[in-house]
Amino acid sequence: MKSRMTSAVSRRTLLAGVGASALAASVPLRHGLAASKIKVGILLPRSGPQAQIGIDCQRGADVAPEVLGAMGYPEMEYILGDTETKVDVARAQAEKLIDAGAHVIVGAFDSGQTMAAAQVCEQKNIPLVVNIAAVTKLTELGYKWVFRNFPTGPMIVGDAFKNQKTLFAESGATPKSVALLHVNDTFGTSLSGALMALTPKFKMPYKIVEKIPYDPYGRDFSAEVRKVKAAKPEALWAVSRLNDAIAITKELVRQRVDLMGILSTGPGWYEDPYLQATGKYGDDVISLVPWVDYKKEMARRMRDAYRKKFPGRSITSNQGYTFDAVLIVADAFKRAGSTKNTDLQAALRTTDITNNTTIGEGIRFNEKGQVPHVPCGAVQNRDGKQLVVLPKFAAVAEPIWPMRPWRER
Amino acid sequence: MKAIDLFLSPLSAAGRWLGAVLLVVLLLLPYWGSSYVMTVATTVFYLALVGQSWNLMLGFAGLLSIGHALFVGVGAYASAYLFSAIGLPPAIGVVPAVALAVLIGLLIGYLGFRFAIGGVYFALLTIAFAEFVRIVVDHVPWLGATEGFFLKVSAADRHGIDLANLRGAPEMYYYLIMALALGALVLCRYLLRSRLGYYWQAIRDDPEAAEALGINLLRYRMYAVAISSGMAGVAGVFYAFYQNSLFPEIVFNIERSIEATLGSIVGGVGTLFGPIFGTFILTPLGEFVTEGIDLLKHWRVIDPETKLDGLKLLVWSFIVVLIVLFKPTGLWPWVCHRLRLTRPGAEG
Repeated sequence: MKSRMTSAVSRRTLLAGVGASALAASVPLRHGLAASKIKVGILLPRSGPQAQIGIDCQRGADVAPEVLGAMGYPEMEYILGDTETKVDVARAQAEKLIDAGAHVIVGAFDSGQTMAAAQVCEQKNIPLVVNIAAVTKLTELGYKWVFRNFPTGPMIVGDAFKNQKTLFAESGATPKSVALLHVNDTFGTSLSGALMALTPKFKMPYKIVEKIPYDPYGRDFSAEVRKVKAAKPEALWAVSRLNDAIAITKELVRQRVDLMGILSTGPGWYEDPYLQATGKYGDDVISLVPWVDYKKEMARRMRDAYRKKFPGRSITSNQGYTFDAVLIVADAFKRAGSTKNTDLQAALRTTDITNNTTIGEGIRFNEKGQVPHVPCGAVQNRDGKQLVVLPKFAAVAEPIWPMRPWRER
Repeated sequence: MKAIDLFLSPLSAAGRWLGAVLLVVLLLLPYWGSSYVMTVATTVFYLALVGQSWNLMLGFAGLLSIGHALFVGVGAYASAYLFSAIGLPPAIGVVPAVALAVLIGLLIGYLGFRFAIGGVYFALLTIAFAEFVRIVVDHVPWLGATEGFFLKVSAADRHGIDLANLRGAPEMYYYLIMALALGALVLCRYLLRSRLGYYWQAIRDDPEAAEALGINLLRYRMYAVAISSGMAGVAGVFYAFYQNSLFPEIVFNIERSIEATLGSIVGGVGTLFGPIFGTFILTPLGEFVTEGIDLLKHWRVIDPETKLDGLKLLVWSFIVVLIVLFKPTGLWPWVCHRLRLTRPGAEG
């Protein structure tokens, strides 16, 4: 009986079957026309030094299907990829996601990793919707399959200056001197260099009296804060990451360095662990960063879903821009009615979304695949919450400027 | 033929058969593997090439370098810049790129050996130079500074074979890096059996005794640094045109240097096949762990909703620690012995 059953499928039939299956598996039906579901590859740094940011971004993507589904957007299936915070792994994972049948890729937070994924997508004609990556060149290399709704480095810096001017004008308190404290890694030196170069160009009312770089792995910032104190600036502008932002704040309090205000461009100073670690001393710090606009209906819907799914956790630009990237995909798929790559590309080119979650008029790509201007906000910490105080059209609170002295808290 | 004979001579009959089968499997990989598998295999060969160049310095000549990313980065930036600025094809650009990598290697070597900086201090010197060059590139606008240096690619670049400009299908990159890695293996085999190789091994095992026998330590150590940095420079040229984007913080990062050492350490420092074997174990190991987790989720042994990001790195690190603890001389000598892949007395 056993031998009969075995012989019922000949070796040749088995080989043919296996061959056909392998062939079918290796050629995903990416060019299917009318599809009810789109496969979205979510490529993020889920492990390695940027793991927490990747997890935050993923949370933004996690709430999107529920929110968008309730609004009539089509169904999406996620395929997850982990870049391990490495460029070469990002490249391999982009290939893997496409092999697994992803019709579009969303990612990849970091400029280097996104650039690696962009090259794979460009060569394989698969749309890449960038959630977060600020490197200007990404949309300047003539790529046809890359779409980005995130500000470039110059946009972030330009808006930081504009928001500062508005802040000083409205509060009537203008610092005449500023110390620039920055982390001495690629991100920190690049951004601080741009800030130094552009300060005169934007005719800022203050002078940068001291530029203080510090070790990205530093734990003790007493020397750096002493330098700040010695320079006697009226305000401090910081370009930091998380742990250094916490340590610097504690040191500023310890050395009683009272300032008109602390401004930050970049991560660290608005993040949940920062707010938890610094408590009342983290209040009044203003971060000049891309952010979520709760005056928009979509942002409120996202917030409601997010609070249910991830109670006690804040929404930052990581969640907001990743949600928006998924929204862009869902909108393009809805209009294209197809998962065919060229149909999706054409639909992405004609994107016109006004009800998104982040600050700005909406999402419309130019011929380079870039939203021409993605405005940034001024976000102030208040009682452990991050409130948008500028620009006016997105503000949910009036700014406190000058900030309250440490002893009065 | 002589080169092939030289290459095959240490292998036993079993080793030759296994090598032949592996070679056929790898040559046919583009026909049976997905593009993802090919990307992983390309990375494996690239790391094997860098690992081989590192192994030449430590394993053959006893010079510890933890800044090998420097030579790779210099080769990468030089060739990419020459291609981008004056249109010099990498097939020609590889010459000045490698020359620059060798020159920097010789400078480090001269400083180190002339002033008798050895052991970990020499390693620190290599790290210092790598950091120095990273900071310099960070501030050079025409190399893209911190914003990165990019080579433009298009869909058309993915088709055909343009070896001169290193533009073509992924298969081209795969076969090219495979050829380079195997070429490095043959070169190392040749060097090991040459007078130079014997001098290196003598210097590695006992520098004082070697010097007493009349071996010029400075000269032969400089040869090792020059050849090693040149090989790493070639790998850098490949890296630049394969990745198409270069960021100083990534290219010159110490992590890249350590990555170059891992394959050799796991495979067996000082052995010929160790670096390539170690890389073939390490890189796919990480991918197998990921696939294993996915499979367990698929079979619902693990809840599919469970987020296990980072577990791969934990498992991978654990296995590497086990290998280093229990096979401190590397896996290759042990595998060779167990499977009798080399002839008795022959170096693997």
